[in-house]
Amino acid sequence: MRRNTRRLWEVIRPHQGLIWLGLLLLLVNAACRLTLPYIVLVAIDEHLVPNKLDGFWTLAGLYLLVAGVETLCRRWQLIALETAGQGSLFDLRLKLFRHLQQLPARFFDRTPLGRLVGRVTTDVEALQEVFSSGLVTILGDFVFLVAALVILFSLSAQLTFSTVLIIPVLVVTTLFVRQKVRRAYTAMRERLSRMNSFLHEHVSGMPIVQMFAQEENRVAAFAEINHGLRDSQLRSVWWESTLSAATEMLSAFTTALILYYGGILQMDDAIKLGTLVAFVDYMGRFFIPLNDLSLKYTVMQNAMVASDRIFDLLDETAEEPDPSSPAQPAGDGHIEFRDVTFGYSDDLPVLSNLSFEARPGERIALVGATGAGKTTILSLLTRLYELQSGQILLDGVDIRQFARSDLRRRIGIVPQDVFMFQGTVLDNIRLGHPGIADADAIRAADELHLDDVVGRFPLGYHEPIAERGKNLSAGEKQLIAFARMLVVAPCVLALDEATSNVDSHTEHLLQGAVHRVMTERTSLIIAHRLSTIHDVDRILVLHAGKLVEQGSHEELMKRRGVYWRLYQLQYQEQES
Amino acid sequence: MKRYRARYALGALCVVLAVVLKMCIPKLLGDSMDQLGRGDGGATATPDLILRAALLIVGAAALGAVIRTLSRLMILGNSRRAVSDVRKDLFDHLVKLSPSFYVRHQTGHVMSRCVNDMQNVQGLLGPVFMYLTETVVVYAVGLCFMLSVDPFLTFCILAPFPPFLYLARKLAGRIQQGTRAAQEKLAKLSAKVDESLSGQKVIKSLTLEDHDYDQFRSQSLAYRDTMLDVAKLRASLQPMMMFLASLSTFILLAVGGPMVTRGDIELGELISMIYWMMILAAPTGILGFVISSLKRGAVALERICEVLDMPADLVDPEPAKSGEGPGRAIQRGALEVRNLSVFFPALRDQPHLSGSLPPEAKDQIDGREVLRDVSFRAEPGQTIGIIGATGSGKTTLLRTIGRLLEVEPGRVFIDGLDVNDIRLAQHRRAVGTVPQETFLFNMTLSDNVALGRPDATREEIHAAVTAAELEKDLHQIPDGLDTMIGERGVNLSGGQRQRTALARVLLLQPKILLLDDTLSAVDTHTADKILLALRPIMRKCTTILVAHRVSTLAHADEILVLDEGEIVERGDHAALLRQDGIYASLHRRQTRRSQLSRELGLDELGPDASGHSDPDEDGTR
Repeated sequence: MRRNTRRLWEVIRPHQGLIWLGLLLLLVNAACRLTLPYIVLVAIDEHLVPNKLDGFWTLAGLYLLVAGVETLCRRWQLIALETAGQGSLFDLRLKLFRHLQQLPARFFDRTPLGRLVGRVTTDVEALQEVFSSGLVTILGDFVFLVAALVILFSLSAQLTFSTVLIIPVLVVTTLFVRQKVRRAYTAMRERLSRMNSFLHEHVSGMPIVQMFAQEENRVAAFAEINHGLRDSQLRSVWWESTLSAATEMLSAFTTALILYYGGILQMDDAIKLGTLVAFVDYMGRFFIPLNDLSLKYTVMQNAMVASDRIFDLLDETAEEPDPSSPAQPAGDGHIEFRDVTFGYSDDLPVLSNLSFEARPGERIALVGATGAGKTTILSLLTRLYELQSGQILLDGVDIRQFARSDLRRRIGIVPQDVFMFQGTVLDNIRLGHPGIADADAIRAADELHLDDVVGRFPLGYHEPIAERGKNLSAGEKQLIAFARMLVVAPCVLALDEATSNVDSHTEHLLQGAVHRVMTERTSLIIAHRLSTIHDVDRILVLHAGKLVEQGSHEELMKRRGVYWRLYQLQYQEQES
Repeated sequence: MKRYRARYALGALCVVLAVVLKMCIPKLLGDSMDQLGRGDGGATATPDLILRAALLIVGAAALGAVIRTLSRLMILGNSRRAVSDVRKDLFDHLVKLSPSFYVRHQTGHVMSRCVNDMQNVQGLLGPVFMYLTETVVVYAVGLCFMLSVDPFLTFCILAPFPPFLYLARKLAGRIQQGTRAAQEKLAKLSAKVDESLSGQKVIKSLTLEDHDYDQFRSQSLAYRDTMLDVAKLRASLQPMMMFLASLSTFILLAVGGPMVTRGDIELGELISMIYWMMILAAPTGILGFVISSLKRGAVALERICEVLDMPADLVDPEPAKSGEGPGRAIQRGALEVRNLSVFFPALRDQPHLSGSLPPEAKDQIDGREVLRDVSFRAEPGQTIGIIGATGSGKTTLLRTIGRLLEVEPGRVFIDGLDVNDIRLAQHRRAVGTVPQETFLFNMTLSDNVALGRPDATREEIHAAVTAAELEKDLHQIPDGLDTMIGERGVNLSGGQRQRTALARVLLLQPKILLLDDTLSAVDTHTADKILLALRPIMRKCTTILVAHRVSTLAHADEILVLDEGEIVERGDHAALLRQDGIYASLHRRQTRRSQLSRELGLDELGPDASGHSDPDEDGTR
């Protein structure tokens, strides 16, 4: 709890100016609220009871003035606090997002996506109350209560003593019933979330429910959950109603007490009539913040739970930071894997003791069955995962010595599934590198004959891409991925079955461009169609995480091993 | 909703009583103060009189509290009950909407009706109704009390109300608009986070973190700004209503004060007026909120009704049309498909569905023929194999037979009856589909298997699990058949999920078995074993078997080769091989590959391998 409070304060700190301003305005507002009944008191005692009207108008004017100030303070207090609150939430959201970006790939392998999305959206929302009004308003309410008490005492200590006795009763009752309300509320929320997950599940799986004719069954199950929810809702309504009734009754009881005891005091001339009137007014205003406070308590508790979850996520260990003085060797794209062992889980190695070398400018193809670890090699090279043992070197330097962004910029991956961002085609080509001129990006794209594809869009390269690239075919997306890679000009080129979705016409178009690109850089190619890797310099054949054969096409063909068989197979297929 | 009308009326009546009692307190107070306040020896108060007034106040308050509690229980309780009923109706209706509804509407979309809109409706039927009633009654009763004191004074006090209330309503409308815009932005933000997290590996490899961050930032910013706009509107509305209360008290003092000195009204009456004003101010302050909730609730109700008004398309044929045939159970399972053509999807007849599609999507799918003039027959015990490239219409064909897609009359017949004339329950009992992508529920494995027959015995479930070759996997998961599956339990692999789906259907003992590339995520060896085990079952029913592997289909009585929705080759295995067309070339290719795979000791090799090497694509999401 304390840990959270401190960390929450860290989030608010940059906006503290507005918070202090809000607090100040809130105090002025509270002072005004306390002054208003006092003015009425004076009006009654000084003017109405003695029947003197001189100076009454000034007093009435003062009332309006104070009311005006109260209103303006309230308005600006709300704006200041809300601005600070929304600003803090905004910061926190960005911080969370940044942190998520820095979490290792392994973290995402084991954490459900939906939960993480909830952290950034719903949980941050739950904090809104804390940031925008919560703490400050609670403080304001508190100040108001204390000040009201002081004023009451100064008006009549006797009357205050007798009525203040009711406050402990009020507090205890409120706390007791509020706790019941809270419990009922928690139970209700649990059932609500149970119902929501039931609904979610069944809305997603409705066709299956229907296919198996389980409608009645599921409707019955839903009815049960629905009833449970309703009952717990009714329970919470009951306690809430009790609470409001109890508060109202106590408030009326206080009024009666003031009237009786104050009346007697007034008859003894111990107090004036206006004081009596003001007392009733003040006590009435007393009840509102008291009720508010107990209400806020619940909201704050929810917020604390949310902040726990948020901070837990922020405490999740991020990837090891980049080295303080990262290596920046002149890149010609020399890759070396030394005894690399790796598995997605510790007991199931995907690669074991893999060693190979790729010299600058060399074209290397990775061949092997599904699950042999080809894609994993690319993931390790770009340091998405940390090795269990061994070392990977790029240009003679361990990849851990690089800044990740620099390392990844040196390695241009064209993946199988291309990820499209919101924006235009052109935006997607020069992704993340706004410095690239339109002309350069378009030149790279034209080289890949992307202009043929883009030609069918009314806006050409400026055509916006639909959500996740729905308006492009898989092949077109891959062309864009190629163009992306070309504009960045990396020294290592990695193609992960990059041409698998491209139709043969497009592939033909691509071939020339890709060839040109490959002659200048070290290339790692994962391909299923062996014909496309005919002329690479070296072919690595992987099986079960181990390197079983390597050599040029001719060498491997001569060896008549695994590769030869594979080649035979596919060659014949093409014939048929 | 009607059944709650009486209780709502009673609740409203309680509100009236409670308000009247509450309004009596200022009257009593004012009278007592009046008795106390007559200065210059005019005071008529005695301790007994004051005590009587104080006791009356306590009595009124106690009675008022009880009645108020009753009103709350009645109104708020009713809203919970009513919403619970609406929720039930909605779910009952969702169950009757055809699968095409679920294809067209995202889960999140439907969920938002069930959750957010429902909550707003609950607000409308509960608090909003209560506050509105209370506000109206407080004003009405307060007005009566105040008019009885002095009509002119009352008029002066209430003069500023109309313009303020008018402004408040306008502001509340804008707040509501802003809130909706903010919710939309939040939904977009959430979609953005979802996109970034699912694409995080790609983003990292391409060093697009900054780019992605910028996008997230600008969306967060848009959301923040919208929220601030709303906050500013709120910051106008709430203080404004507070000022209205103060302004009225000011008028009361300024106009009423001199009246007291002139003796037009008593001081006690003025004091009562002050307290009444305070009581009036309380609901006035939240009136704006209530009005905007009222609107929000109304919109939500409308949206829920939109779903409820969608025709429940999964309904049985009209009895008049179907005669007595449909109620009969399907005895044999002879299947006939006659000149079936399907335009995908059958949206033209369902304008409510096509309306929600973006125009470009409509262009793409309208008029595209997924199946063209497909005809075949299958007698019980026969197996029809279907093979074809992705998008050739295999799944659509099975969906049509399984009635997951609407089909025009006169195209698909079971035991000589048009499927449209067969009662749904009978159809489903007879036709078992094992889809490629299945859905497992958050329940135990055995409950998942027994989905279609909750009354199945343990032995029956076990037999189905064994036939689907899932038994050996039971030892790998913690509690065997009793293991919880899904979000709150164990995640099964793609192959295990497919076999669970198969077991599910086998347990039904269907007359017609539709296998839609059911074993794609199962390795060849296991797939062959399953098919061998299935053979006796397949001999007892009509089977449509969709597969990519020729070896799977070799035993089928007839094999249909689909290409772009048309049957391009048909015949049994031997005949198709003689024909030396697409099927024969597929066969050559695949036998060679499996030969090689065997020699290498690999599961599968080559371009048709369907698995992925990435661990997180294996059904864990």
